Amino acid sequence: MSAESASGIQKGLVDLVDFIDWSGVECLNQSPVHSLPNALKQGYREDDGLHLESHADEQLLIYIPFSQVVKLHSIAIIGPEEEGPKGVKFFSNREHMGFSNVSDFPPSDTAILSEDNLKGKPLILKYVKFQNVRSLTIFIEDNQAASEITKVQKIALYGTMMETTDMKGLKKIEDH
Amino acid sequence: MVLEATMICIDNSEWMRNGDYSPNRFQAQADAVNLICGAKTQSNPENTVGVLTMAGKGVRVLVTPTSDLGKILACMHGLEVGGEMDLAAGIQVAQLALKHRQNKKQQQRIIVFAGSPIKHEKKLLEMIGRKLKKNSVALDIVDFGEEDDGKPEKLEAVLASVNSNDTSHIVHVPAGPNALSDVLINTPIFTGDGEGGSSFAAAAAAAAAGGVSGFDFGVDPNLDPELALALRVSMEEERARQEAAAKKAAEDAAKEKGGEQPTTHDTAMTEGPSASASEANEKKDDLMDDENALLQRALEMSMDDTTSSHDLRDTDMSEAAADDPDLQLALQLSVQEGTKEGNDMSKLLADQSFVSSILATLPGVDPNDPSVKDLLASMGNQTEKKDEDKGPNEDEKQ
Repeated sequence: MSAESASGIQKGLVDLVDFIDWSGVECLNQSPVHSLPNALKQGYREDDGLHLESHADEQLLIYIPFSQVVKLHSIAIIGPEEEGPKGVKFFSNREHMGFSNVSDFPPSDTAILSEDNLKGKPLILKYVKFQNVRSLTIFIEDNQAASEITKVQKIALYGTMMETTDMKGLKKIEDH
Repeated sequence: MVLEATMICIDNSEWMRNGDYSPNRFQAQADAVNLICGAKTQSNPENTVGVLTMAGKGVRVLVTPTSDLGKILACMHGLEVGGEMDLAAGIQVAQLALKHRQNKKQQQRIIVFAGSPIKHEKKLLEMIGRKLKKNSVALDIVDFGEEDDGKPEKLEAVLASVNSNDTSHIVHVPAGPNALSDVLINTPIFTGDGEGGSSFAAAAAAAAAGGVSGFDFGVDPNLDPELALALRVSMEEERARQEAAAKKAAEDAAKEKGGEQPTTHDTAMTEGPSASASEANEKKDDLMDDENALLQRALEMSMDDTTSSHDLRDTDMSEAAADDPDLQLALQLSVQEGTKEGNDMSKLLADQSFVSSILATLPGVDPNDPSVKDLLASMGNQTEKKDEDKGPNEDEKQ
């Protein structure tokens, strides 16, 4: 736990779960029973009984929009040893991708997850590519044991906020 | 009210010239397509529907998903029949058309009309089905027309590979007297998984099939609410009167034993509904012939019914009230309840044994007193007279 918190809260990094725009979150090929909130939402993702599972085959396409522009530093993907994800691609600011166009443009970053990653060690991303992120698409290409179903226990995103205008803070200048 | 984008895949191959569906397979299919488009656009105004043909020179998209019903119906004109259906290509093009829909929040659905033999292998079809499931596209299949060896199995296999959570359906429509659209109206393809388009579909059925549909009185409440309401009210009054009459008859038979209240109630109840069911059927036929006259009669009968029941209650009240203030209060309360329930109260008061038992408990009243006996006899006569009226009426109708 301390290792995680140390890596998570360094240089002012925050857990970006609070900035996720839940109304736009989508996941293609997820099992109807084991769905994305199990892996993403606070509380659900800590629960070992709840996980995200793929449906027709082992690939998953997760689309996460944010309510504010963020800078993404690292991602922790936790899953079981056998069915946890292996090849993962990240796309920044691509709306509504489908399985057919994942190979159409280059990903912002790719990663092969190791056992350590699946236990909680976060993946450090190419920070320069994720400076201005409105939405993140995670494409899970295959899993560790090449099994039919991919299981993901938890997905945690770490980063910082950009200094954007807070529209609520805008006030009319009062005449003196 | 699910927000949905639908692509309809039409089979316009040579096999559609066959006349085993009237007037021919293609026309029956076109009618069904028109109905589906209407149902989808009505169930949610933001729904979009598109149409493509699978045979002819090749798969051709006639109209991309749009909510403009006129455009969709217009493109159905002048379609030519010919060639061979390419199911796999048709479904894939439909999937592509849905992928490029304008409103990404819409659920994706493909409706396929498979009327000719399928030349693809089951494996290929299953693969396509899995791809649809992966991209969360639902698939409805209408299996009609040619009954090929292996066609139902192939289609069932596709359905199994697409289906997730019962969002996809298959309907097999054999050739027969019923039109293709009529058969489809009762399926989940129209009713949309148990909500939504059923009201539209039912209205369309009533309009198209000419009134013989699942409605109580052969009248669609949407088309003519006042008539439907009047008929329903008169039907209820009639049924209640029936029950009272039947109860009276049953209870007269058991009067010597001093009939137990609950059993007579039960038998009367069971007799009542069966009598009123036959009544309902007869009423339906009459309505077909002469709605206004029957409505008049029904209203008159219900008017008579309420006035006579009022008389009953009034006589009872004055008789009993004179003797016992407690009973007066009780009767007042029960009559107030009765005005809400209407005929239930009159039924209770019409039950001679009940009334006589009440009167027996009153200190000053002797059930053997001639005036009391006269009163009870008069109540009996009134309900018997109603029975007599009912008798000749039923004979007339038959």
